[in-house]
Amino acid sequence: MTDAKKQQGDRLSEATLIERAKQGDAQAFEALYNLHKRRVYSLCLRMTANTAAAEDLTQEAFLQLFRKIGTFRGESAFSTWLHRMAVNVVLMQLRKKGLPVVPLEDTMESEEEAPRKEPGADDPRLAGSIDRLQLQQSIAALPPGYRMIFLLHDVEGYEHNEIAEMVGCSIGNSKSQLHKARMKLRELLKTSRAEKATKP
Amino acid sequence: MTCEEFERVLPELEGGHSIEQEAHLKSCSACSDLVRDLNAISQQARHLQGSEEPSPWVWNSIEVSLRQEGLISQPQPERARTLAPLLGWKLRWMVPLAAAFLIVFGVLLHERGGVQRDLAKQTTPPAGVVTADLVTSQEDEQLLNTVAARTPSMRDAYEANLRSVNAYIRDAKQSADSNPNDEIAQQYLMNAYEQKAMVYEMALDRSLP
Repeated sequence: MTDAKKQQGDRLSEATLIERAKQGDAQAFEALYNLHKRRVYSLCLRMTANTAAAEDLTQEAFLQLFRKIGTFRGESAFSTWLHRMAVNVVLMQLRKKGLPVVPLEDTMESEEEAPRKEPGADDPRLAGSIDRLQLQQSIAALPPGYRMIFLLHDVEGYEHNEIAEMVGCSIGNSKSQLHKARMKLRELLKTSRAEKATKP
Repeated sequence: MTCEEFERVLPELEGGHSIEQEAHLKSCSACSDLVRDLNAISQQARHLQGSEEPSPWVWNSIEVSLRQEGLISQPQPERARTLAPLLGWKLRWMVPLAAAFLIVFGVLLHERGGVQRDLAKQTTPPAGVVTADLVTSQEDEQLLNTVAARTPSMRDAYEANLRSVNAYIRDAKQSADSNPNDEIAQQYLMNAYEQKAMVYEMALDRSLP
């Protein structure tokens, strides 16, 4: 798409774009896609860690959304509606592949997944020195259930009530899973840093 | 307040602590380090938002599907009259140029497959000549076989995309043939060829080991 078209799309309000898309306007569809493609794709990529799979899921999420755009009434934000589609598409894909998507209501963790409590010895602090690449790698190592909540809250900025609506869990469960995800990331980041320090 | 009690309520603490919790944080370096680390992780994570971009192939596939399903409507004749002066003569040679891209990809495909064809001897067809037939379903089969040989899991997806984009070319060609002076119809035909060229490009690029 040319730069001129992109700028034109950005200037129009999202509500106007949605109404024009309902009328079959190709430019409106494209503008809506360009407004939201990065967030949807980034979410899919971080959940699958595979660019081809993430692009296929992005395509599927937008197609499902655009097919149903005639039914959008504006009760929720368009981006929330879109992300809900993307989350559903990702979860369906993970289940289809037989990957262990941790049920969000399940509080029983395997010993391997639970963040360890380390009594006694001093823990080196992380604050102020978190490497972005290490964080990305650590996120990729999270169990899928923790990863989804963490991505939606800390990366995408959704509130717990929005996340609960999107993934079909309680607000309390969303907060609990987020906390566990952060604790697990803290552990992974410290392990990664310790391994780096011991390398020659 | 003990460390255990503090960690139990930690998931609920967003944006503020009680006086008792603040007092505990001031007196306990382990818990204050924990809170600081978790906040730092959360803050750094925000920089990851929307940091990746999908390839142009994704939108092209979406657009092809939307047109195929009739969710995108053709523009009104008034728009054609408005745009025609702007588009002018450029479209006359860009349509066969886009088709020529397809011919080039067809040549590359046959070279990679080791099949000797005389496609390279084909000249760029004059404007208005039916060009979609120059890259036939045989070339599409060749492409799909190449994809299947190297990335079997992608074959079905590319087959669906080729089916959609061929239908798009057929419809656009019909419209362009019926209205040879309609610049918008020529534009749509060019777009259709460009999309097919992009499908070929992506397939050949992705199927490389």
